[in-house]
Amino acid sequence: MSEFLLDARNISIAFGGLKACQNLTLQIPAGGLYGLIGPNGAGKTTAFNLLTGVYTPQSGSIHLDGRPITGLPPHQIAKAGLSRTFQNIRLFGELSVLDNIMLGCHLRGRHALVRTLLRTPAFVAQEAAMRTRAMDLLGMFNLAHLADEQARSLPYGDQRRLEICRALATEPKVLLLDEPAAGMNPSEKKSLAQSIRFIRDCFKLAVLLIEHDMGLVMDICEKITVLDHGCPIAFDVPAKIQCDPRVCEAYLGEPAADQPAPAGGGPAA
Amino acid sequence: MKNLAQNIADVPRSVAFRPATILVPWLACLAVALGVHHYLPMIVDEYWVNVFRRMGVFVMAAVSLNVVNGFAGQFSMGHAGFMAIGAYVAAGFSYYGSLYFRGEANVDDFMIQGTLLMLVGIVAGAFAAAGAGYLVGLPSLRLRGDYLAIVTLGFGEIIRVTLELTGKQVYDAKAFQDAPLSTLATLPFNGSTGFERVLPYANLFWVWLFVGVVCVVAYRIKNSSAGRAFLSIREDEIAARSMGIDLTKYKVRAFVLAAFLGGVAGAIYAHTGVNPSPTDAGFQRSFDIIIFVVLGGLGSLSGTAIAATLLTGLSEVLRGPESIVNSPAGVWSLAGIALALAVGSALLKAVGNRGWRVLAVASVAPVLLVCFAYLAQWLATAWGVKLSDYRMILYALLLILVMLLRPNGLLGVREVWELFGPEKPARRPGAVGPGKEPAP
Repeated sequence: MSEFLLDARNISIAFGGLKACQNLTLQIPAGGLYGLIGPNGAGKTTAFNLLTGVYTPQSGSIHLDGRPITGLPPHQIAKAGLSRTFQNIRLFGELSVLDNIMLGCHLRGRHALVRTLLRTPAFVAQEAAMRTRAMDLLGMFNLAHLADEQARSLPYGDQRRLEICRALATEPKVLLLDEPAAGMNPSEKKSLAQSIRFIRDCFKLAVLLIEHDMGLVMDICEKITVLDHGCPIAFDVPAKIQCDPRVCEAYLGEPAADQPAPAGGGPAA
Repeated sequence: MKNLAQNIADVPRSVAFRPATILVPWLACLAVALGVHHYLPMIVDEYWVNVFRRMGVFVMAAVSLNVVNGFAGQFSMGHAGFMAIGAYVAAGFSYYGSLYFRGEANVDDFMIQGTLLMLVGIVAGAFAAAGAGYLVGLPSLRLRGDYLAIVTLGFGEIIRVTLELTGKQVYDAKAFQDAPLSTLATLPFNGSTGFERVLPYANLFWVWLFVGVVCVVAYRIKNSSAGRAFLSIREDEIAARSMGIDLTKYKVRAFVLAAFLGGVAGAIYAHTGVNPSPTDAGFQRSFDIIIFVVLGGLGSLSGTAIAATLLTGLSEVLRGPESIVNSPAGVWSLAGIALALAVGSALLKAVGNRGWRVLAVASVAPVLLVCFAYLAQWLATAWGVKLSDYRMILYALLLILVMLLRPNGLLGVREVWELFGPEKPARRPGAVGPGKEPAP
C-alpha cells in the first residue's frame, strides 16, 4: 500500500487530437492540502473529471486509500471516498438546503423499497439520523437557519459553502474543490481560506484545490502542481513555484528581450 | 464529526418506532374509500358515480406518471401503454377467470369471487406493466429530453398496434375450459373492437381504495431518501452522480415504479364498466395524463391529483347542467366552500406534524369537491347557459390560461399542505451575509 491517500499516476486522456491531460501524477498524503493551478484551458477541471470518474483515463492508474478506482463510475468513486465541488455551482436548485445535504448522506445509507413504503423503524431512524447529521453540518457552516430555503434562492457565497457542505456529507476521505473562491471578495476569500483549513483538520481529510486566486493558493496549499496544455510542468512548495521559470513562462509567455510580457492571465489576476 | 452509521445508532428506539406513522395512512385510505362508497351515491346520481370512478382512475394515472416525469424528470409519453398492459392483463384475469371457474362471464353480481379475480388481476397487471417499464427504462439511460419522449411515444404505439392485432375473444365457456392455456396463448383480446363484457367489479370503494394506496405509495417515495435521489437526477444528473447516486439504478427504478402504479390504474380502469380497447394505449390518452401532471405541477402529488380531479370533473360539468347533482343548493355550496377552506387553512396553521397536515388536506378535499359540483350546477342553472356547446373550447381555454398564469403548474413541486404553515421563526437578517466562517 502506498503512503499516499490519493495516488494518481501518469493519467492521460485525449479528446480526438486534443491531449487534455498527459501523464499527470497527483499524490496526496492523508491530511494534505494540495493545489492544482494553471492558465485557463490547462486541463485542471479535466484532471478533476478524471479523478472522479466523469472521464475514464486512457492510461495510468488511480488509487484511493490503496484501492484501485481507475475506470469506476462516478457514484462508486464517490462511495469510495472521493467527493468534489463544481466550478459552476451544481446544487439541486429546486430542493431545499436541507435536502441537498441529506442527499449528500444518501450514499452511506440503505434504501430498500420495502422499508421506504412501510416506514419501518430502520427507515425512520435513518431519516432522522440523516436530518441530524445534515443540520449539524449546516450549523457548522452557519447555514442552519436557511435549512428550509430553496437552494437556488441562496446568495452566491452561501451556495458555494453549501456545495462544500454537501460534498462533506458524503463522508469523503479526499475533497476536491474546483475554484471555491471564484466570485468572492477579498474578505470572503480570507474566511474561505480559514474554512478550508478547518475542514481539513476537523474532518481529517485531504484536500485538492483548483484555484485561480494565487494569494489563496500560496497561502494555504502545502504543495502545488502546475499544469500547462495538459502537461504537469512543476510540483513543489508554493515558495519555489513562485520563482519557477517554467511556471512564469506558462502564465506570462516567453520572455522577450525587446518586448514587455503580455498583460492578462498573470498570476496576480 | 460522527459518520452516518453512528448517527443512526444514536437515534433512540422511541423515535424510530412509530406505529401511527406506519399504520395511519393505510387506515385513512380505507376510511376515505368507505366514506366515498357509502356517502357519494346519496349526494350524486348514477351518472356521476361513474364519473367519480373514472376520476379516481385518472388520479391514479396522473400520480403514477408523476413518479417518472415529475420526480425523476424523465419525460415519458407512453404512460397509456403501461395502463393498457395493466388493463388487458387484469381484464383477462377476471373475464377468462370467471369463464373458467364459473362457466359464464356475464354474471352481474359483485360476489367475493369476482372481486378476488379482479384483485389477482390487478396485481398481475401491475407486475406485467412493471416488466414493460423495465424494458422502456433501459433506453432511458442513454437518452434524455426529446429523444426519450419519442422512444416512450413509440412504445405506446407499439402496445396499441399489438393490441389491435390480438385474436378473437372467446365467449364460449366450454371451449375455454377445455384448453385455457392454448386459448390464452393466442391472445384472445378481441383486436381493435376492444375487450368486451369485463364486469365492473371496481365499484367506488375499490377505485378510491386504490387511489389512496397509490397516493400513499407515491407520497412515501417522494418523502424518502429514494425520492430525493429521483429529484436530484431531475435537477442535475452530473451532480447527482458525483454525490453517489447510481443513475442507472434510479432511472430504471423510476420507470418500473411508475409503470407498476400505472398498471394498477389501468387494471382498475378495465373494471369500471368500460371495454378496454387499443385506443386506450394511444398517445391521445398519454397526452391527457401528461396534461394533468404538467398542470398540477411536475413533482407535486397533490397538485396532479387536484388537476386530474378538476379536469375530469370539469369536462363533465361542461357537458350540461342537467346531470350534475340531484338537487341544486347554490348558496349552501358557497358556504360549504368557504367553511372547508377556512377549516382547512386553520388546521394547516395549527398543526405542524406533516402526517396530520396531509390528513387534514385529504379530509377537506372531498367536501370541497362536492361543493364545487353544486356550485357549478347552480351557476349553470341560474344563468341558463348551455355550456355543452362550448365544452371543448372552454376546456382548452382553461388549459391555456393556467399555463400562462402558472407555467410551473398549479403547485410547482410543492404540495397543498406545504402552502400554509405554522409561523416559522423569522430569518435573522444579519445571518445571511456571505463569507461566514465555520464555528471552530
